[in-house]
Amino acid sequence: MRFRLDLSHYGDRFELVFKGDLSADGVSREMDIDIRQAAITLHPTEWLDLRAGRQVLTWGTGDLVFLNDLFPKDFVSFFIGREDEFLKAPSNALKFSVYAGPINLDVVWTPIFEPDRFITGERLSFFDPSTAGLVSATSMGQPLESFLPPKKFSNGELAGRIFRTLSGYELSLYGYVGFTKQPLAFDLAADMATHSGLSVYGASARGTWLGGVANLEGAYYDSADDEGTDSNVPHSQFRGLAGYERELIANLTMGLQYYLEWTQDYDELVANSATPQFEPDEIRHTVTTRFTYRLRQETLMLTLFGFFSSSDEDGHLRPSLTYKRSDAVTLTAGANIMFGDDVAFSGQLKDNSNAYLRLRYSF
Amino acid sequence: MKPSPASLITPIVGLSLLARPVVAQDLTDVAEIVQRANLASYYAGNDGRARVRMTITDARGRNRIRQFTILRRDQSDGGDQDYAVLFSRPADVRNTVFLVKKHVGRDDDRWLYLPALDLVKRIAAGDKRTSFVGSHFLYEDVSGRSVDEDEHELVETTDAFYVVKNIPRDAGSVEFTSWTAWIDKTTFLPIKMEYIDDAGEVYRRIEALDVAEFDGHPTVTRMQVSDLRSGGYTISEFRNVQYDLGIPESVFTERTLRSPSRRWFSVR
Repeated sequence: MRFRLDLSHYGDRFELVFKGDLSADGVSREMDIDIRQAAITLHPTEWLDLRAGRQVLTWGTGDLVFLNDLFPKDFVSFFIGREDEFLKAPSNALKFSVYAGPINLDVVWTPIFEPDRFITGERLSFFDPSTAGLVSATSMGQPLESFLPPKKFSNGELAGRIFRTLSGYELSLYGYVGFTKQPLAFDLAADMATHSGLSVYGASARGTWLGGVANLEGAYYDSADDEGTDSNVPHSQFRGLAGYERELIANLTMGLQYYLEWTQDYDELVANSATPQFEPDEIRHTVTTRFTYRLRQETLMLTLFGFFSSSDEDGHLRPSLTYKRSDAVTLTAGANIMFGDDVAFSGQLKDNSNAYLRLRYSF
Repeated sequence: MKPSPASLITPIVGLSLLARPVVAQDLTDVAEIVQRANLASYYAGNDGRARVRMTITDARGRNRIRQFTILRRDQSDGGDQDYAVLFSRPADVRNTVFLVKKHVGRDDDRWLYLPALDLVKRIAAGDKRTSFVGSHFLYEDVSGRSVDEDEHELVETTDAFYVVKNIPRDAGSVEFTSWTAWIDKTTFLPIKMEYIDDAGEVYRRIEALDVAEFDGHPTVTRMQVSDLRSGGYTISEFRNVQYDLGIPESVFTERTLRSPSRRWFSVR
C-alpha cells in the first residue's frame, strides 16, 4: 500500500515541489516514508535556474540502460515490479542550469554520496562469489550493507552535462566525479563491500532517422584502480549504446538497443581475482527490445521489455498490461521473469521472478 | 428599333459585373484556398496561447478529461512552427510537457518530458496519425497536416463554403483514402472535415462547433472529432485565446521541457 502526497506552488521567480510516499509493506511489515521530491527551484535570471533539495534526476539517451546517468537507481523496486518511475531514486542535491543561448550547461552537486538502492538480499537473493552460491538476508543473517565513504566535503558527487540541439540532433557531453553507485569494491579494513572512487566521461547524440528515433551514447568509467591489479576495486570500463525506436504499424512501437561493457586490463583482473571463474566476460553484450501496443484510445497498453545478454547467456523479460479504467483508476498486471546462470547479471535473480497486480487511484 | 439579343444581354452582364465587388468574388484556385485555410487554422498572429480542455467520451458514454495550455510560435507564415503543451489534468499527467518543432518538408522533432522520472523522451515522427494523449484528435490535427502531403481538388463552391477534396500523395502513410473539408468562404476556417476509408465510407468527422474572434483573428473555440465506427468522440474547448504575445523562441527548448516558464504558461 502506498499513499502519495503531491504539493506544488508556482510563483513568478520560484517553485516549490513536494512529493512524498507513505507506504505500508507486507514483506518487511514496516511503515515507511519516502520523500521523492522536496525542492525549491529559483529563476534568478533569464539564463539561470537553480534547484535545491531532494529531487529525481535523469539524463542520457538509453531506455532503462544508463551510461552517463550516475544518479541513484532503485534496483529493488525495478526487479519487484513497482512502477518504472521508482527505478529512479531521489538525490539530495543542488542543480545549476545555465542557458547561454545555443549551449546549455547543467551541474549537479550531491554533497553526500547517494548510492543506488541495491539488492541486499532482503527481498531479492543474489549470487555471492565468495560462497559460490545464491544468498539472501536470511542466509546471511542480515541484509547486505555497504561501507559508505565518510561524509566529508571531498566525498560528494559532481555531475555535469553540456548540451545543445543542432538541426534536430541533441548532442551532449557528460562528466562525473564520485564513487561506484553499487558496492562493487571491498574494504579490507572494514571487511565490507564498499564504493570505490570513479570518474566517468561520455557523450551522446540523439535524433530522428528513417522515421524513427536513433541514439548513440558512450562512456568511459575510469576506476580508482589505475594499475588494474587490485582485485578489491572494479576495473575501468568502456560502455557503449546504440538504439533505435520506431512505429511498426499504427499504435505498435518497437525499440531496439545494443549495449556493450568492455572491461579494461582484463588479463590482470582474471590473474588477480580470488574467484576468476565467476568474473564476467571481458566484453559483455546486451540487447534490449521494447514493444508497446496502445489500444482503445490508449486506455489499454501492452508492453514487453526484454534484456538479453549473449555473453552471460541470461535475460530478463518484463511484460505488462495497463488498463486505464478512468482518469482516476489505473490497473496494471505484469511480471518480471529472469533466466540464465546463477553467476550471470539477470540469471542470479531467476529465483526472484515475480508477477504483480497494481491498482492506482489518483485524485 | 427592335432590340438585338446582344443589347438585352449587355445590361445583365453589366449588372453582374457591378454586383461582383459586393458579393466577394469566389476563389477558383484550390491551392490558394488551401493555403489560406492553413494560415487561418494554424498561423493566426505570430504566436498564440490558449487553455484547452478536451473531454473524451467513449462509446459507452464514459468521460475522461485532458486539460492543458498550448503555446505556439511561427518561424514564418505557412512555414516552420514551434509548439509547447503543458498538461494540468488529469493528476497522472500533471506537469508533463510536450514540445514540437514542426518542419515543412521534413519530419517534425518532438519531445515529451515525464516529470516523475525527470525524463526527456524523444518521440518518433512517424506516428503523426496516432491519438493525441488518448483523445480522438491525432497529433497531426493539433499541429496541422502539411498542405503538400495531399493533392487538392475544389469539388464545389456553395454560398458559404469551398468544398475541397484532399487525396494523400503517399497513401501508405495514412489510414484514409481521402478527406473533404468545408472551408468557410469568409474566415477560411474549415468548419467540417470528413475522412473516407477504402470502402468509401465516412469514418471520422471533425466539426467546428463555435467560432469567435480574438485580436482580429476568427478562431474555433469548440471543436468535436467523432469516431463514427466506435461512436466515441472528443470535444475540445479553447479558452483565454490570445495572439501576438511576443513569446520568445527560447521558450521552445529543453529548458521549457524540464522547467516550464510559468510566465508564458500562466493565463492571466
